[in-house]
Amino acid sequence: MKYISQWISDWYDIFTREFRHIFSDSGVMVIFFLAGLAYPLLYGLIYRNGTVDDMPIAVVDDSSSAGSREFVRALDATREISVAFSCADMDEAERLLQQRKVKGIVMIPSDYEECLASGRQAHVSTYADMSSFLYYKNLTMGASQVMLSEMHDIQASRFSSAGYDGQQIRQLVQPLKYEENMPYNRNFSYSIFFLSAVLLIVVQQTMFYGVSMLTGTMREENRSFAVLPDRLKGHGISRTVLGRGAAYWLLYIAIGTYVAALVPRIFGLPQNCPFGEIFILLLFYVSACVVFSFTFSSLIRHRETVFVLFLFMSPICLFLTGFSWPAGSFPGFWKVFSYLFPSTFAVRAFINMNTAGASLAMAAPQVAALTIQIIVYYFLSCMSVFIENQLLKRRQKG
Amino acid sequence: MNFFHNIKSAMLRELRLMRQRPVYLLATIGVMAFCTVFFLTFLRDGMPEDLPVGVVDMDNSSLSRNITRQIDATQLGRTLKFESYRSAREALQTGEINAFCVFPDGMYEDVISGRQPTVTLYVNSLYFVGGALAYKDLLTMMNMASGGVQRELLRAKGMNDDAIMGQIQPIVIDAHQIGNVTTNYGVYLTNVLLPGILEMIVILVTVFALGSELKYGTSRHMLEKAGGSMSAAMIGKLIPYTVLFSVIGIICDMILYCWAGFPMAGSVWNMFIGTFVMVLSCQAVAFFIIGTLPILRLALSISALYSVLGFSLAGFTFPVEALPPYIQGLAAAFPLRHYYLMYVQEAIFGSGFGGWYPQIVYMLLFLFLPPLVYGRLKKAYRLRNFPRN
Repeated sequence: MKYISQWISDWYDIFTREFRHIFSDSGVMVIFFLAGLAYPLLYGLIYRNGTVDDMPIAVVDDSSSAGSREFVRALDATREISVAFSCADMDEAERLLQQRKVKGIVMIPSDYEECLASGRQAHVSTYADMSSFLYYKNLTMGASQVMLSEMHDIQASRFSSAGYDGQQIRQLVQPLKYEENMPYNRNFSYSIFFLSAVLLIVVQQTMFYGVSMLTGTMREENRSFAVLPDRLKGHGISRTVLGRGAAYWLLYIAIGTYVAALVPRIFGLPQNCPFGEIFILLLFYVSACVVFSFTFSSLIRHRETVFVLFLFMSPICLFLTGFSWPAGSFPGFWKVFSYLFPSTFAVRAFINMNTAGASLAMAAPQVAALTIQIIVYYFLSCMSVFIENQLLKRRQKG
Repeated sequence: MNFFHNIKSAMLRELRLMRQRPVYLLATIGVMAFCTVFFLTFLRDGMPEDLPVGVVDMDNSSLSRNITRQIDATQLGRTLKFESYRSAREALQTGEINAFCVFPDGMYEDVISGRQPTVTLYVNSLYFVGGALAYKDLLTMMNMASGGVQRELLRAKGMNDDAIMGQIQPIVIDAHQIGNVTTNYGVYLTNVLLPGILEMIVILVTVFALGSELKYGTSRHMLEKAGGSMSAAMIGKLIPYTVLFSVIGIICDMILYCWAGFPMAGSVWNMFIGTFVMVLSCQAVAFFIIGTLPILRLALSISALYSVLGFSLAGFTFPVEALPPYIQGLAAAFPLRHYYLMYVQEAIFGSGFGGWYPQIVYMLLFLFLPPLVYGRLKKAYRLRNFPRN
């Protein structure tokens, strides 16, 4: 009984002391609050328009026939493309592309109408500016959409002149119909795609940088992050880790709730999962982030070096979530490497739950992985406190 | 003469500091080497292969099996069978597959009897690359399947194969990708991500080097070494880093364009110029940040926020012209944005000096930033009138 009350009072001392450290450090405040709170908003503003609509292209219509003009009109009517220039030749169009006035070229050859009239295949060429994949995607999607609908019109008119009636023509032209369904991100919106992934990355990264800065500060001031209550003579590792951890945990449950629930609401992102389930995911994720940060911050000697040495990990962690390059295509080594980071699992679970409407039960594999991380990193952070104490003792003796 | 002597002794002092603290070499050469290896190996396939695509086959006819086989035969796709719509939807929601299609019961018979059955395609477009590619693959397959049915009908009518092609696909699109013929995702991203990492390194390390003098109270020693001349001290301090960053950047360019064979329409020498000028402008930004906020930890936090934003505002992922107008102007405040525009002109269009010189001018304009805060930093170095921590 006495042990328990002593444990709790030690724990509470450490917990409040850590809180004081956090709030008396302007650098950490900038990271936790400016970055943690303002970054999600900033990203939301940057990617406010999720799609590139009416991308300007140049058209070189060598055929200038009724059919080619129809093709160009249909291109202009797509959501993706707007025909900004009609050029006399390819040289002119290429010049416009180089001046970045257009992001793509569609060229209709002089034999376009002739080929169609004689039943041969007509070739239309597209040239995409590959400096951004969204340009390429817009040009490809717009052009193939128009190509398909033109094709169906051409086929229909041929069958009709061969004497088929309307019903037969439809059956011939499209014996098999299809219907597209993109339930979670209807327009391939970049903001839904990017924000869903980056929101939780902000949680992990800002926490890691903040914890490391404080660890470094303590080291510089000749205190250690691992100080144990003196009278325990080297015992009490768990209350140190849990006491310090609780301070960050509490802070980040608040920041995490803001990031994962409030920010999507502010920007009107889809929220297809009850808040309760997102919150449970957050409980696991924030816990994993705390012990993850404790483990790796113990390697930091000076308060400022964490940014200089580890800022580059932010974009890398983002890629390791598999939000862009599919996780199934990761090379083996990097797949294993990605398991080191809580963000890898939490971001996947968050995308699936928050935006695709999966239930918490369906995110069980990710939650299980986070649990394993919590256990392993908790053990490792206790280890680092223990080793640090051994080293301190040796230094005092020596 | 004395001035050059002062620069030299400031430089020697800096080189000694760089040797003494491993953080300088780790944060520059170490970080850049890691990132180069990461992006070149992580995205080495260029295009994902064998993306899992779900199939819910309620028809189980020769037609549905044929379409499934066709999807398997493409390099892009690999089919996974699902018993029900429900299980496929769950796999879609958990990201196990990026797309699936449902072949309705009696599809083949409906096709034969002209009842035009509908196949439903479901795409999870939350995973951009995987979703878009799987979607494209499925669309192609559906149109091919329709064409295949038409072909059988026309063959039965005695049409020859050439004429059939002219009928089932009257228009063909020949797609050309300028600057990235194979639509290699790795080429597209690495070309800008690595310079982005370089930008980050230059800003952070320069701020760290300049700010450490304040934090560790060595700024007066630094000025003394340079014979009391602030300009000699700054030139001597920054030149070793300019050289180091430029060499790293140029090696990186060489790895990309000479060794890894990334497409380069212009000359790699021009990219060297671009890299060098970007290093200069990033150093100028760093000088401005530490000069404005001569407290190392605050300056580093701000630098971190700034350099991470550079990736988004460079505009190579989501184009700047599609950003909200009030954000578009902000993009110009990042050297990486100008480097990216220069790279597009040189590497993609090969337009040479005439195409990209404005970007070089913009990057050089950043060099007007340091004089604005020069006096302030000098005072901070001399008086140490800012809190160290």
